[in-house]
Amino acid sequence: MRRVMVCDFRVAGVWLVWLCCQVPVVFAEEDTEFFERRVRPILVQRCESCHSSAKGKTHGGLALDSQAGWKQGGDSGTAIVPGKIDDSLLIQVIRYPEDGVQMPPEEAGGKLPAAEIQVLVEWVRRGAPDPRVAKALRGGLTEQQLRDWWSFQPLHKVTVPRLDPSVSTGNEIDHFLAASRSAAGLTASPRADRRTLIRRVTYDLTGLPPTPQEVAAFVADESPTAYAHLIERLLTSPHYGERWGRHWLDLVRYADTAGENSDHPIPDAWRYRNWVINALNADLPYDVFVREQIAGDLIHKNDTAEEYAAGIVATGFLAIARRFDHDSDMHMHLTYEDTIDTVGRSFLGLSIACARCHDHKYDPISAADYYALYGILSSTRFAFPGCEAKQQPRDMVPLLTPAEWAQTIEPYEQKLAALDLGLKQLDERQAQATSALKSAALNSPQLLAAGEVSEGGSQFLAGTAEGALDPVTVKQGQWLQLTIDPNGNYGADSTLIEWELREVGGAERVWNITHDLLDHFLDSNPRADRYGNAATWALLDGRGGPSLLPETLSNHSGKVGLDIWRNGDNPAIFVNSTDQPITVWTTLPPRTLFVHPAPDGPVAVAWISPFEGQVRITGRVADAHTGGPNGVKWRCEQFAGDHSATLARLSEFNTQRKQLMTQRAELVAQAPAKVTAYAVTEGTIANARVHLRGDPEKLGDEVPRRWLELFGAPQVPAESGSGRLALAHWLTDPHNPLVSRVMVNRLWQHHFGKGLVATPNDFGTRGQAPTHPELLDWLAAKFIESGWSMKAMHRQMLLSAAYQQGAGDPETPTHAQALTVDPNNHLYWRFDRRRLTAEELRDSVLQASQQLDLTPGQAHAIPPTNTWSYTQHVPFAGVAETNQRSVYLMIVRNRRHPFLGLFDGADPNTTTPQRQVTTVPTQSLYFLNDAFFHGQAEAVARRLLAQPDESARLSELFQIVLQRDPTAAERASVLGFLSNYQQAIADTPAAEQPLLIWSACARLLLSSNEFLYLD
Amino acid sequence: MTHSNCGSSRRQFLHSAVAGSLLMPGLLSELLAADAANPLAPKDPHFAPKAKSVIFLFMSGGVSHVDSFDPKPQLIADHGKQVIFDHPETRNRPGYEKIYLKRPDWKFAPRGNSGIEVSDLFPQVGAQIDDITVVRSMHTSHSNHYNATLGMHTGSFAFARPSIGAWLSYGLGTSNQNLPSFLVLAPQMPYAGTQVWASDFLPGAHQGTRVMPGAEPVANLTRRVPTARRQELELAALQAFNEAHRQTRNDDSQLATRIKSFETAHGMQTELPGALDLAQETDATLALYGLQRGQTDGFGWQCLAARRLVERGVRFVELIHTGSSGNWDSHGNMADHGRLAGQVDQPIAGLLQDLKQRGLLDDVLVVWTSEFGRTPFNNTADAPGREHHNWAFSSWLAGAGVKRGHVHGATDEHGMRSVEQPVHVHDFHATILHLMGIDHERLTYRHGGRDYRLTDVHGHVVQELLS
Repeated sequence: MRRVMVCDFRVAGVWLVWLCCQVPVVFAEEDTEFFERRVRPILVQRCESCHSSAKGKTHGGLALDSQAGWKQGGDSGTAIVPGKIDDSLLIQVIRYPEDGVQMPPEEAGGKLPAAEIQVLVEWVRRGAPDPRVAKALRGGLTEQQLRDWWSFQPLHKVTVPRLDPSVSTGNEIDHFLAASRSAAGLTASPRADRRTLIRRVTYDLTGLPPTPQEVAAFVADESPTAYAHLIERLLTSPHYGERWGRHWLDLVRYADTAGENSDHPIPDAWRYRNWVINALNADLPYDVFVREQIAGDLIHKNDTAEEYAAGIVATGFLAIARRFDHDSDMHMHLTYEDTIDTVGRSFLGLSIACARCHDHKYDPISAADYYALYGILSSTRFAFPGCEAKQQPRDMVPLLTPAEWAQTIEPYEQKLAALDLGLKQLDERQAQATSALKSAALNSPQLLAAGEVSEGGSQFLAGTAEGALDPVTVKQGQWLQLTIDPNGNYGADSTLIEWELREVGGAERVWNITHDLLDHFLDSNPRADRYGNAATWALLDGRGGPSLLPETLSNHSGKVGLDIWRNGDNPAIFVNSTDQPITVWTTLPPRTLFVHPAPDGPVAVAWISPFEGQVRITGRVADAHTGGPNGVKWRCEQFAGDHSATLARLSEFNTQRKQLMTQRAELVAQAPAKVTAYAVTEGTIANARVHLRGDPEKLGDEVPRRWLELFGAPQVPAESGSGRLALAHWLTDPHNPLVSRVMVNRLWQHHFGKGLVATPNDFGTRGQAPTHPELLDWLAAKFIESGWSMKAMHRQMLLSAAYQQGAGDPETPTHAQALTVDPNNHLYWRFDRRRLTAEELRDSVLQASQQLDLTPGQAHAIPPTNTWSYTQHVPFAGVAETNQRSVYLMIVRNRRHPFLGLFDGADPNTTTPQRQVTTVPTQSLYFLNDAFFHGQAEAVARRLLAQPDESARLSELFQIVLQRDPTAAERASVLGFLSNYQQAIADTPAAEQPLLIWSACARLLLSSNEFLYLD
Repeated sequence: MTHSNCGSSRRQFLHSAVAGSLLMPGLLSELLAADAANPLAPKDPHFAPKAKSVIFLFMSGGVSHVDSFDPKPQLIADHGKQVIFDHPETRNRPGYEKIYLKRPDWKFAPRGNSGIEVSDLFPQVGAQIDDITVVRSMHTSHSNHYNATLGMHTGSFAFARPSIGAWLSYGLGTSNQNLPSFLVLAPQMPYAGTQVWASDFLPGAHQGTRVMPGAEPVANLTRRVPTARRQELELAALQAFNEAHRQTRNDDSQLATRIKSFETAHGMQTELPGALDLAQETDATLALYGLQRGQTDGFGWQCLAARRLVERGVRFVELIHTGSSGNWDSHGNMADHGRLAGQVDQPIAGLLQDLKQRGLLDDVLVVWTSEFGRTPFNNTADAPGREHHNWAFSSWLAGAGVKRGHVHGATDEHGMRSVEQPVHVHDFHATILHLMGIDHERLTYRHGGRDYRLTDVHGHVVQELLS
């Protein structure tokens, strides 16, 4: 087809008209050739440095390296409307409009030459013929690549290769391993000795060393089933769950704080931690284990109270997701990402969260997949831990069903309702009396003095420190009032007041508000004076006339002696009754009284005259919170009439009110405790819309809540809630090949030191292929067959000869040869030595010193929620020291536990599939100089001193730390060390020397490689 | 080797510690092999570096650019004028419905031969301006301390990621095995806590080691047994015991690595206190940093300690001033900037002079920054404080590979936005890595199926400020 370029005067700018008329251009090529010869070079040279999917650069979300790219368009919409030059954004921008987007930008070469613009205009006019049709992709894979990738294929039916006659011990695993091992000309190492074996398997299953007695018994047990019995004993130990629970907690980035800017503590987090430990001890089938964590509340909706409660706690897996920023409610999209990331990596070995901003580059996950799961999470209500902007937690999930809770709470609520009714009636009577007082006051004010205090300023009522207001004549029951009005920014209107009234003549009595009220400030309102006259002082809400401040708060912000009368947050009158300054929002000097007006009106104090006569008034008003940036207004007034009767009635009401409130508080304190979990419930059900390039403010198409396209994309059934229940079942569908493979690989990894797949959280195309794919699939099938029993898989692996073999003897030629052929032991020709984890090290040291507390941990000591005021400036930073097992240590996200941080503990901010093992000198400094370590070594030494002589002590030390006797050579050399050491401490008292010497010996063994590395 | 060597002599141990070789002859090659597994062993950069070490001076809380390094005469002229901006710190904030330009509280003057203007807030640093490139066009992605502090250190404004010091340690290792590669002199905890110096998914060896002024600047650094003799006896016995254990396991490099790590720890126990001990410094040097003899705290102490650490080959030294409170966050009153600048001005100027006179400024990159700037406006014209401002702020670089007496980029007439040659935090990081011989796009770490880098998918090296 031949086409002739026609100049379109209506469309093109004047310059183009000129150009076209001067240089008529004819493009003679047919479409494909035209594209290849003229269009493609321009796109490649001028555009694709910023707009290419293949190069991973899609500025503005636009890719121009495929037809699909410009069709889909970028953030501003479709780039080209075929045939419509004027409607095509691409053409608009390359024309470089003065008042619009100009492309390419200056730094990328600037405006295109006119001839190139002509080509692109012609291309669009022709309908943008573009042969660059990409292969159909699922995320980053073509259909073929997807079919070919090993981990997405169904489990292969594998028969055990019983080829190698040398496999005479162990089980099926050994046949699989023997096949590849003998192909490489290697043989397995001899079985480890019995002490090594019991230490290895005891640490492996419980994270603790065996006792010397257990070792001795096992070494002496000649029965062929001794080892199998040992495994059974360990699998039923409660410490099994503590060890393997920790592996799981690593994976789900467990922590006791939320991780947002002020790192709020989560008092209920421990319930999930203990649920994991208990679930593993009970050998909860893995598919159930997974489902409970996604939807335990929904699964057990109609089950027993106990099952329902456990189901709720299990969903702590979702709630424990990290929170972000100042107001974490506003950043839930990041929390959902963290959740999707953890779900994907932990259960499936897939990095789904990579698809938040764009389709996955390497794995078959689309952005739509991501937002399909996102919709399930955003339809779920997560417990809210509190944050800087909103201190108080909310949406904790009660552990009783609504019906059970109603039954439990009913008697209590009836009593409460009766009390509240009494209070309401009292309030009504109080309101009547107050309104009488207000109208009397409003109708008869006589201004005595007034002023305005500037920012940071201070004013005496009479203008000077020495002066006083003119004497005021008062009658019994008459009312003098000092009122403080808000001014400008009320938030910083905390104001110091001093106010004194002195009787003129007579007894020359003195009423000083600070002296009279400061101590026992919260006793009553109104308060008596120091002469025993009841209701002389009143603390008032001044809005619309005076009324008594109704509420008290003692020790505000946890500051002892900072007591407050208030109505809501403000107005408020407060004192620092201590001898020290108190720093809260401002610094309050010792022994002072302050007022803070409300945003919409004043606060006031009143003196009600107990006599008839004259008083002289002095006082001072001072801005107590600078940076406001303004001060306050004040006035001193006198009200006519005798208000003492009204006030007496109000006072009586207050007394009654206080009694009722006390009763109420007592009742509330005994209320049935609503035990809650940090967990999730169903929320507002709605599909999510795609966030273009991950930006929550740029919304794309709505995506139905559904499972991954990789698994057929089934949708959440209508009317079935958020979709968590469906997700729980999709995740554990036995036909899903990833779930079982990923989990048996983890079990293998924790027993053998490395996974059959070396990238345990990544089974996608960026991960490593399995070293023994058939073994992996056989184990995965066996896992499902066993009813997803983790303990069955432990038995399977631990009873293999591969697990029981020794670490090998480097002196033998076969070992040397094997090292050359397979230095990394991919073929399992020996057992890989491993370092104890941080937790195992700490627990073992505590075990050796007999300080280890083996009771399960529960809640951490966290301050009550009503005292919380954590900020990014002063975040939660609790440390809960304990001698319980390390799995029960408090994990603070923004303050890494120093010991766990030093010894490669799990990262509480992201899933940790495998601990790093780094060896750094700061670890050795710990063994050299740490106070805790030295203390424990000394405790070991004290145990030794109970033994009669050096030889017995030495044996005991070796047994305690290494569960073996010292060799003769070791005896000789340690005793040699002892005598050298004794000389070095000759100047210390003889009585102290044994403890010093044996502490040094205990440190020697507790620091040794033999203790830290498990053969 | 038998256990008869358990009580091996002090001389023998010291020899091995000093020589950095092994107690036992014949094992050297294995230990060298073990060194290959040492994550802190020096590594080649991607290309010839300009700088060998970084001293990173972090001013916590947000330093006002328009009061320090970014002179804005028009801001003075327009003081009190109402302006309208959709600013993250004033959006929907009660009392901030109207905002007014606010002039700086310090006078600016040209300094040095370059004549670059610096305010009276930093007269001493100003006097060193001929060795500095001021970046006046910084901007960052968040106006909250926590997030911006995290961003300035890790390139991530929300998620926990490795710190820049950890990345450099990972990329380059370190030359002095007796000292950590990444030290953080932080008397107080900063915003975002230990995440600021975390290695996150990078191997733990690369995490920052916190140094605090006081009796024990690094945890467990102080010898706990009372005499050196006793510790040497214990160490020699331990090394002999471990060596005997290794005899039948000599194919396992991690055992040898740990044996060596005790020698290194002993070296660190000796060398790090020495590095932090200023007793050998002359009165003139102490005076340069504004230090009294015997003083072991304050920013002068931090600065002089930093010089001593980079002299000893530490790769990345960060100094934090001050922490998450009592810092540069002058909402209430900008006068507080004066107090804070008084704490750091002379020490920083002293550090630059000292590095220069020792020839170290050719090998060391000094970076000065805050997490963001402060607003050129407030809700009243005479408000004494300023709010957080992430649209524009000033940082500076000095030393190896950086132009001297140079200004890069500019803000608009009021210091509101970075308009000329803007430098985002990612660009800033890319540039620091470049000066250290690292291509920020090639320094990656595979974690959970993804290659991560300090600059995520962003960052351009700011070529214009390279010398």
